[in-house]
Amino acid sequence: MEPLLSINNLKTRFHTEDGIVKAVNGVSYSMKVGEVLGVVGESGCGKSVHALSIMRLIQIPPGEIESGEIWFDGRDLLKLDNNDMRHVRGRDIAMVFQDPMSSLNPVYTVGFQICEALMLHKKMNKNEARHRAVELLTLVGIPEAKRRLDNYPHQFSGGMRQRAMIAMALSCEPKLLIADEPTTALDVTIQAQIINLVVKLQEELGMAVMWITHDLGIVAEMAHTINVMYAGYIIERGNVRDIYKRTLHPYTFGLLGSLPVIDEAPGTKLISIPGLPPDLIDLPKGCPFYVRCTYRVDQCKFELPPLMESESSQHTVACWRWQEIDGKGTK
Amino acid sequence: MAEINPQDTEIVDFAIREHRSLWLDAWRRLIANKIAMLGLFVVALFILTASLSHFFWKYDPKSDLDYSSKLFAPNLVVTEDAPAVHIFGTDKLGRDIFRRVVHGGWNSLRVGLVSVSISLAIGGLMGLLAGFFESIDMNFWERVTLMGLLGLGLGSLSAWIAAQFFQIFLFSGLGIFSVVFQRWKAGKKVRILAFAVMGMLLGGVSGLLVGPLVGLVCGFLGLGVGMILARPLGGKLFSDVTMRIMDVILSFPSYLLAIAIVAFLGPGLEKGMIAIGVVGIPVYARLARSAVLSVSQKEYVLAAQAVGESHGRILFKHIVPNILSPIIVQSTMGLANAILSAAALGFLGLGAIPPEPEWGAMLGDSYKYLSSGAWWAVLFPGLAIMLSVLGFNLLGDGLRDALDPKMRI
Amino acid sequence: MTSEDSVLVQVQNLKKYFPIYKGLIVNKHVNDVKAVDDISFDVYKGETLGLVGETGCGKTTVGRTILHLYRPTSGKIIFGGINLADLGENEMRVMRRRMQMIFQDPYASLNPRMTVGSIISAPLDVHTSANRKEKQDQVQELLKIVGLNPDFVNRYPHEFSGGQRQRIGIARALALSPDLIICDEPISSLDVSIQAQVVNLLEELQERLGLTYIFIAHDLSMVRHISNRMVVMYLGKIMELADRNEIYLRPLHPYTQALMSAVPIPDPDKARNRQRILLEGDIPSPVNPPIGCNFNTRCPIATEECFKIDPEYRELTPKHFVACHHAEQFIK
Repeated sequence: MEPLLSINNLKTRFHTEDGIVKAVNGVSYSMKVGEVLGVVGESGCGKSVHALSIMRLIQIPPGEIESGEIWFDGRDLLKLDNNDMRHVRGRDIAMVFQDPMSSLNPVYTVGFQICEALMLHKKMNKNEARHRAVELLTLVGIPEAKRRLDNYPHQFSGGMRQRAMIAMALSCEPKLLIADEPTTALDVTIQAQIINLVVKLQEELGMAVMWITHDLGIVAEMAHTINVMYAGYIIERGNVRDIYKRTLHPYTFGLLGSLPVIDEAPGTKLISIPGLPPDLIDLPKGCPFYVRCTYRVDQCKFELPPLMESESSQHTVACWRWQEIDGKGTK
Repeated sequence: MAEINPQDTEIVDFAIREHRSLWLDAWRRLIANKIAMLGLFVVALFILTASLSHFFWKYDPKSDLDYSSKLFAPNLVVTEDAPAVHIFGTDKLGRDIFRRVVHGGWNSLRVGLVSVSISLAIGGLMGLLAGFFESIDMNFWERVTLMGLLGLGLGSLSAWIAAQFFQIFLFSGLGIFSVVFQRWKAGKKVRILAFAVMGMLLGGVSGLLVGPLVGLVCGFLGLGVGMILARPLGGKLFSDVTMRIMDVILSFPSYLLAIAIVAFLGPGLEKGMIAIGVVGIPVYARLARSAVLSVSQKEYVLAAQAVGESHGRILFKHIVPNILSPIIVQSTMGLANAILSAAALGFLGLGAIPPEPEWGAMLGDSYKYLSSGAWWAVLFPGLAIMLSVLGFNLLGDGLRDALDPKMRI
Repeated sequence: MTSEDSVLVQVQNLKKYFPIYKGLIVNKHVNDVKAVDDISFDVYKGETLGLVGETGCGKTTVGRTILHLYRPTSGKIIFGGINLADLGENEMRVMRRRMQMIFQDPYASLNPRMTVGSIISAPLDVHTSANRKEKQDQVQELLKIVGLNPDFVNRYPHEFSGGQRQRIGIARALALSPDLIICDEPISSLDVSIQAQVVNLLEELQERLGLTYIFIAHDLSMVRHISNRMVVMYLGKIMELADRNEIYLRPLHPYTQALMSAVPIPDPDKARNRQRILLEGDIPSPVNPPIGCNFNTRCPIATEECFKIDPEYRELTPKHFVACHHAEQFIK
């Protein structure tokens, strides 16, 4: 089957006064129709920047998409003109952002903001749009949707706002929904509601979802495939069971070890990864994880490991010594 | 989770950015900004010429008079018509305009610095205290000081009316006493009543020494003073009172207020400085208060309280250094504003007394000769005003960008 | 690790209301934000007490009120046998030596205009009469303890990463060798791998220095990891207090159960197979908490009683406190 989204060697840079920040360094992968992809990594690993690059929402300057191809639905998004790209945004690819407080415009009602998107992309008239907006708000679980339509964002709680944002994203039935840490600003019980909602909607509508997060716990529950990113590289990619149960990269391993588990035995120590992520202005020549890695050898210092296939072609890893790590993560 | 066998990993032990203080960072950003550098250049040129000429090129305006060279156009070489070089020409009294513009710069510089210092010292301090006590509880001695000062201020009003200056001490004493009295925890109503009556007696009786009418007025004033002092003065109330006074000052058109003050004090450059300074007070008070309010919400202020640091230490080690940036920017812009105001006063004949060289006064002297073709007598002082104001404004804008804390935390 | 007979802090019927004023000229007291509403618990010497709850549950206010950074509306805080409310300003300042705090935001909790050295030595300036040299040595020693290079004394906070800054904050809290450290969400703004570093450091310091922690966070699994006992708060009240294993194996309050089931599990099999209790709706505002039980608007097992009577906070099984009318059914 033709992949929905196929990214080829994407590189995104930011020109700052301190130097060139290499935010995304040659990312390649593809997503199938209806696939749920989890993109996991810490701050500064390029997970959000790569998503913004797909949407072409990088501010230029200081940003620059240096090279790469982003094939979506048979078109290279990086070659579209601005007008065509605007139609792709919202209609084909929709995005939900982290901060529900600032992603809705406070001077317009929630209903107006949803209707506007519908009238723009779907060419609906005002009444149809309103009708559809009520349906959408009901779909994302906002009670008394009809009345709520005329509320302003400040009358919504954080969780409700994020639901409204999702309703807005779904308004044009996108083929791909990019969710950039949509639950980070929310409480755990509200987070559980939102995750549940997105999983349900994904199954009902059959759209593909890219869920960007720093929390390996969230994507374990919902994703089919996971990309682990570090310093602008994908360092491990595979289906969800392989990532958690047959971890191949020492960084993923460390990340899993640093998470406390709710059912852990008393006295368990967390495995912390020493040190800090590298400076994106001054990336090392070899493996970016070299200085923090417990498995490093001299080869790692001088040669950047490419993303290579392990036993299964679905599970790829960027580590010279993955064979030695393989097996240690099995429970 | 299976164990990873950690080989020895050295602790990655480095700072993520090179060692540079925030001020040095700001300076680097400032010199990278070309427009700000232009502003800095103009300002530096202005300060340099003004101060050098003041100290090394003596000028006595009173003796500078030469009717024979009245209203000469600018000339760069000596000719038969013009026996001396006047690169900016001469004015109606035959004075060299270049020389007067340069020396006028010294006056403008003085006006700017002195009036900004007045506004900054009074306004900044009031805003600082208002903001600080609004966000942090006062302790006993701070209340005593503040109430004493409040009594002093309010007492001066009635003392001025009654011409009885010991009233000032009476009311400041009342203020201090009220704080001590509060410790006895008398009921709020009783306390207000007691202090109101006491204030009325203090004000009224001493006012009677002058005359019955004055006694009545001072009695009522005392009533008010007593009532205000009897309130358990929290920081919020202090802040509210201060800021309402600032609002009152701001509600006057600034030039009118300055003119009124000069009219009251009498003309003269020094009086002009005071007038411009007073008019500027509320700007700094508001700015300082809002800056303090936002800084005191920061966790490091809470951390300082948790450590047990005293209020004075918190104020001067944590709050003041962090509100300096907006104050510096505002002061730079304020210098431009003060130069402009001084020129306006001078133009109206209320600032510098002739023949003192002052840009505004020079314009006021010469604009009548514009119709007879003496453009130079107006152009060069006007250009000097424009350039110096522009210079300070450009520098202020550049400083705002350079000091903006959002650029780098 | 926990010795029951040595109580370090007793919190008794603590209330902290933030008044809301309205009015132009006369400030009228119209309502209160009931941030902390009548809670009681003890903290034992050498233990870590975890305080967990969602936004607006009052956990941060509890921490700050224990340190008397906020004056309690009513109730007592007894620290080492001394009621803090009885202390004068100067005595309180002396008392602050014994209790310190680590703050949530490592970017806002360090004064950007001060060097690392002067930030860490601030407590020493206030409480000791040590001279410059002694302080300098002590600061370097503290930097070593928290795993930073002692040569960093003259650096500024903006030169460091979030995790390093949090270490500076920890060094400041340790400077006076306090008995109690209140950790107010010290890791929630850090990256996952850095979180583990800081938590490990805190655990190691506790072992070495015999510290007592009150660890405030919203991340249930992290709180369970570090704590000996846990307090679950909701809208200013304690819902449940028990030992870390007890509360995990036998949560008696429906809110704790829901919270537990909402925690993400980094294991695809477990995460997909578990039963989730999804709470409906949002957290009510602490200005107008519901009548009766605070949790009744979202509770899956609420009955009529819950909408009328505020449940008593009681010791249902030994050392397991809960505030729910229907908790008995969960005792297995």
